[in-house]
Amino acid sequence: MSAASGAPAVDAAAAPLLRTRGLTRYFGAVPAVNGVDLDVMPGERRAILGPNGAGKSTYFNLIAGDLPPSEGTVELFGRDVTALAVRRRARLGLGRTYQTSRVLAGLSVEDNLYLAVLGAARGHLRLVGGRSERAATRRRAREVGEMVGLSGRLGVLAGSLAHGEQRQLEIGLALAPAPRLLMFDEPAAGLSRAERVTLTNLLLGLDRDVTLILIEHDMDVALTVAERVTMLHQGEKLVEGTPAEIRANQTVHDLYLGSGHGEQ
Amino acid sequence: MSGALRPRARVALGVALVVALALVPAIFSTYFTSAVAAQALVYGLAAVSLTFLAAYGGIVSLAQTGLYGIAGFVLARFTVSNGMDPLLAAVLAVVITVVVGLAFGAVVSGSEGIYLLMITLALGVITFYYFSQTPTFGGHEGINGVTAPGFIGDPVTHPAVMYEVLLGVSVIVYVAIRLVGRTNFGLAMQGVRDGPTRMRALGYNVRLHRTLAFTLGAVIAALAGVLGTWNDTRISPGTIQVSQIIVLMTIAVIGGLYRIEGAWIGALVYTLLDTYSRGLTARFETWIGIILLVILILSPDGLTGLAQRLAALWRRSRNGDAARPVADASLPPGPGGPGLEPGPGRTGSTESPTVLEPGGAAQ
Amino acid sequence: MVIRRGPAALGWLLLAFGVAWVVVHAFGHGFGSEGNVPQFITVGLNGVSLAALYFITASGFTLIFGLMRVVNMAHGSLYLLGGYVALDLVSHGTNWWVAMVLAALITGAIGLVVHQALLRWNQGQDLRQALITIAVATILADQMIVHFGSTPSTLTAPSGLSASLELGVYQLQYPLFRLFIIGAAVVIGLVLWLVIRFTRFGILLRAGVDDRDMASVLGVNVPLVFGGAFFIGAALAGLGGVMGGTTLSLAPGQDDQFLLSSLVVVIVGGLGSLRGAAVGALLLGLIEQFSSVYLPQSLTNDAILLTFILLVVVLAVRSQGLFGRTTT
Repeated sequence: MSAASGAPAVDAAAAPLLRTRGLTRYFGAVPAVNGVDLDVMPGERRAILGPNGAGKSTYFNLIAGDLPPSEGTVELFGRDVTALAVRRRARLGLGRTYQTSRVLAGLSVEDNLYLAVLGAARGHLRLVGGRSERAATRRRAREVGEMVGLSGRLGVLAGSLAHGEQRQLEIGLALAPAPRLLMFDEPAAGLSRAERVTLTNLLLGLDRDVTLILIEHDMDVALTVAERVTMLHQGEKLVEGTPAEIRANQTVHDLYLGSGHGEQ
Repeated sequence: MSGALRPRARVALGVALVVALALVPAIFSTYFTSAVAAQALVYGLAAVSLTFLAAYGGIVSLAQTGLYGIAGFVLARFTVSNGMDPLLAAVLAVVITVVVGLAFGAVVSGSEGIYLLMITLALGVITFYYFSQTPTFGGHEGINGVTAPGFIGDPVTHPAVMYEVLLGVSVIVYVAIRLVGRTNFGLAMQGVRDGPTRMRALGYNVRLHRTLAFTLGAVIAALAGVLGTWNDTRISPGTIQVSQIIVLMTIAVIGGLYRIEGAWIGALVYTLLDTYSRGLTARFETWIGIILLVILILSPDGLTGLAQRLAALWRRSRNGDAARPVADASLPPGPGGPGLEPGPGRTGSTESPTVLEPGGAAQ
Repeated sequence: MVIRRGPAALGWLLLAFGVAWVVVHAFGHGFGSEGNVPQFITVGLNGVSLAALYFITASGFTLIFGLMRVVNMAHGSLYLLGGYVALDLVSHGTNWWVAMVLAALITGAIGLVVHQALLRWNQGQDLRQALITIAVATILADQMIVHFGSTPSTLTAPSGLSASLELGVYQLQYPLFRLFIIGAAVVIGLVLWLVIRFTRFGILLRAGVDDRDMASVLGVNVPLVFGGAFFIGAALAGLGGVMGGTTLSLAPGQDDQFLLSSLVVVIVGGLGSLRGAAVGALLLGLIEQFSSVYLPQSLTNDAILLTFILLVVVLAVRSQGLFGRTTT
């Protein structure tokens, strides 16, 4: 477990974990995302920022596979995944959270995490046997539960959790399959100050074999966790750099006076 | 159902219930055993193929009577026209029905909610029309004189054995459903019910899971079709016509659409009504429609849902605080919440399987 | 949301095969009147007029869904009710045309009552509403047997339309009334299209606004619009019943038949799409009629399977129907 230091502990000679080239998506005649190139290296902590309407969510969904692009390519872990379905990308090692927690409401917290762990493994369809694998999966599910602070609530129906606890479970679901690349969709949205601190610490505490991408429009959390920031504006890449560089950038200031705390 | 009973107590209760039910032929008349008890078990088994899919899979299917019919007609045809051994014919009938169920499941696996309801209704009606137009299966008349295996004998004059067989199969199906619910497949099935998008993002093949879940439902419907046809000694298109599709749905709703036990409770209520109300009214169909309407308006989760809410009220008045909804591994799962649409007012967003998304979930 | 290329190719292939089969059988014996061309023309017209009937009925079904996301399982019952009401009126001396209008209005009114009493207060609970309409359908079906009996009956066509038209080819004649149904379907389709394109009601429909709060924020009188839509949808079903009752028959079981056809048309065409309803109706009507004549003898009883295949192929290509609305 390594905390983020000043310089990113990233091997610059390695191949990028995520690469998009010319990624474009039209809705009607309007390009919500327009020709975005991006490289994220293994172990990196990247934030993708921009105000509402900048195209962050659309860009996120293009990488995740929820939306097919109009033009351009997406490469994950060295493979061209542009035409690959969501579940296949997940099995390659891509994890993600949702802006509003999508937990499995009718199942217990532990069962939720169990399914998340199982998702990356074999045996989805198993009806009989596999006792030791199932026990191992349960153990791992409980570990993840502890990691996100839900160890006392494992037996509770996920739909009955408080809002903050559901966010915790949401992160647990994303972490459980031990993804290589984890994308967070506005993880700080709707969190209290204290919850944001917990979240930030959790993200900072994650091991380097998980690469992180945060889509955010709240700058505080993003700039604390990120080592590199990509700024989107009207679907295009505006500027890229370290948090300090972004903070100092005149164009960013001109375009987003006081946007550090977003709308509302 | 109430979560106030510990698992061991619940099992003991279940065993006691089964033993009591097994004594029915000894206590009641031959007529009752045949016309009410056995018939209720047949309806219950057919209905549980519906409630299983709804409760564990979030799939409300109106195609179950169609699958029942396929099993029954194939069984009847093999037994009567080909002189096949009844047990062998039964096995073949179930296998063929399961294959068709797999095909149906694949067709509907890309759809959800109300859209799926419509498609399965269309499938159920098409199946009815097929059997009423095909001479191979007796056309309008159906097939009579279907003999059950030797050890069952004549279900009309000596219904006790048929009844015990039905009871045994029902118990096995019930236990199997509970066990399957805790397997990887069963948990994944419930995950797909609660959040197909989430499950996809976790790496699951949602369409495949739905297809296989539907196929399991077809197994249960096929068993009901075989046993029901033996019990009636005949089958005709009338057994699976549109009004019967609605009857099965009504039974499920009376008992509780998302409760496994509800299938048999609803079946018993319906069979009692069906048997004993004919003298009171010639317009039984109208009354069934009215009953369905009343339940949908007042207590959409049926009698079991009503019972559960009354129990919770009682507990609350005793303890003075709200009962805590703890997940119990042996409890029937479900989208929860009163009403037919899952969890109104729940925190966090959950994908509701009963809300129509015309696009279904694209893979 | 995706059109799957494999099944789409299969669909085109099957369609091409079917068309080729019919063409060979229709024109294989030459163009003279001893050949099969006259039959082909007659069957073709039968298919189109049946499609017209399906369209008139299904358009109401798809409109109600498109605006309110209500799947009205009582639609078939309303179809049959319309026919029976018209039959009743005609038997008491009313003119066919007046009876048709009255029957449509009465059926529309009954639909409106059902909506106001049973569906308005649970808007958004799709499954519950569908099951409620199923209960209504059950009650209606049984009550129709009580009031109108079980023997099949037919409405007599109005005097202006009871004759047959000379087609001008092959000495063929075709019932004028069936041509009228085709004309009526075209007119209804045009009117609906105009309404959808140019009225606020139509904008709501196209925007897929199914949230009552959203709609009222937009300045829409929601109870009026939704109730009105249900009235129109039900009236169209009743209208279909009058036409179907004149050219086919009225009997218990017709409600199931037209519920099924509406379901198939709308599943194939896509819920909420008028264009889809037209295409779906044409596909279903033509397939049903042509298969009844051109299928080989041994397979005539299995004709219903073609409907099944139609459903399967379309759903495999696009799970929300050919022109169905996608969700974001």
